[in-house]
Amino acid sequence: MTRESIRNIVFYTTILVSQLLIFNHFNLFNVITPSVYLIIFILYKISYNNTSLIFLGFITGLIIDLAMQTYGCHTFATITICYLRERIEKNSFGVNANLPSAMIKGTKMINRLSFFMLIIVIHSLIYYSLVFFNLELIGRIFYYSLINSIVTFIIVWVLSQLISNN
Amino acid sequence: MQSIINSILKNRNLIIYATLSLITFNSLYTNSSVHYNAIGKTGAHFSGKTSIFSSYINSYFNLRDKNQILIEENLELKKIQYKYNYDTQNLESKSLESKSLNTANIILNSINKSKNIIVIDKGISGGINEEMGVITSMGVVGIIKSVTKNYASIISLLNTDLKVNAILKNSSTIGSITWDGLNSKNVKLNDIPLSSSLKIGDTVVTGGMSFYFPKGIPIGSISNYDNNSLEGYYDIDVEVFNDFSSLSNVYILERTDNEEIKTLLND
Repeated sequence: MTRESIRNIVFYTTILVSQLLIFNHFNLFNVITPSVYLIIFILYKISYNNTSLIFLGFITGLIIDLAMQTYGCHTFATITICYLRERIEKNSFGVNANLPSAMIKGTKMINRLSFFMLIIVIHSLIYYSLVFFNLELIGRIFYYSLINSIVTFIIVWVLSQLISNN
Repeated sequence: MQSIINSILKNRNLIIYATLSLITFNSLYTNSSVHYNAIGKTGAHFSGKTSIFSSYINSYFNLRDKNQILIEENLELKKIQYKYNYDTQNLESKSLESKSLNTANIILNSINKSKNIIVIDKGISGGINEEMGVITSMGVVGIIKSVTKNYASIISLLNTDLKVNAILKNSSTIGSITWDGLNSKNVKLNDIPLSSSLKIGDTVVTGGMSFYFPKGIPIGSISNYDNNSLEGYYDIDVEVFNDFSSLSNVYILERTDNEEIKTLLND
């Protein structure tokens, strides 16, 4: 097992445990529950297999669903962003999408911002659409998605900058 | 085969994504009551819509059979109606028994001539004989003129040769219905004396004093009348209840006592 693999496993486990033990219980103003685990899929290297990413998304979503008793809402939102990630990446970074660390350095800030935001917003919209699952509550779906996307974005952005600096 | 495998490999991410999505939705459907109800409601709505659509198609193809069933049912109801009418008029049961109903489909019809003839798809083999009365649920159509083995022709009410005994339903004044050959919606009610009172909208029914129709079968309603005639009779227009341009099924009335009455008259 290479050093990179061990580092990846440690990173994955740390984020997942943090999500399960800390962020899932955040519940600020009964609205905000940041999905910090999205950083796993944001920082996932393009050189790795996209199929593996979808499976990783499924397993991660499943674990969080089991912990939060959301019955598959996280799983579906996560596998969707994993499936769409390649396109979002190309859309955000253009030709620079092939750079190994495009998500944290070597690319324009605006590209990285749009990439982060797209993944987080799409995930939030899908997740809250499934949670409320009622067209009459569309206003609430947008409200929850917006607030949670902003908070998640701030945390994920700060974490990614910390990782980048180290 | 190779191209299929290549296609699967090329779209493996989509296939995996779709499969995992299905698993997820199955989990949502089975475990969450909110999603179970919402998906169930959508499913019921969708299945309802598709069922209605397929039901429309089936109904369309079954229309002929349904029509036949309805005709049979109408026939039974007509028989009950006649039985009731005769019972209320205290006629002997013999009169009732002497009348029976039959059904037929119209295969040829005209309304634009002065002597209109209708042809039906039943003849001697179907129990049809000459001089039987022909009606619909709306009213009088005509009288059987001639029959072959499988077909019969009817002298339509819209035939200038036909004269049908009629009465005003309200006053029981006796007259006769003829057609002047002008308007397929209107016939003439003749022989109603000016001493009778009538008004527009009064119903005209068969008078029962003929070999063809029992009393009380609707013909039409008075649409116009002129009381300035010098002959002492009204000139009355009657709007027929039947739409002769769209007739499709008819009932044929049989009076088995016709021969007996005719014999009596000849003697």
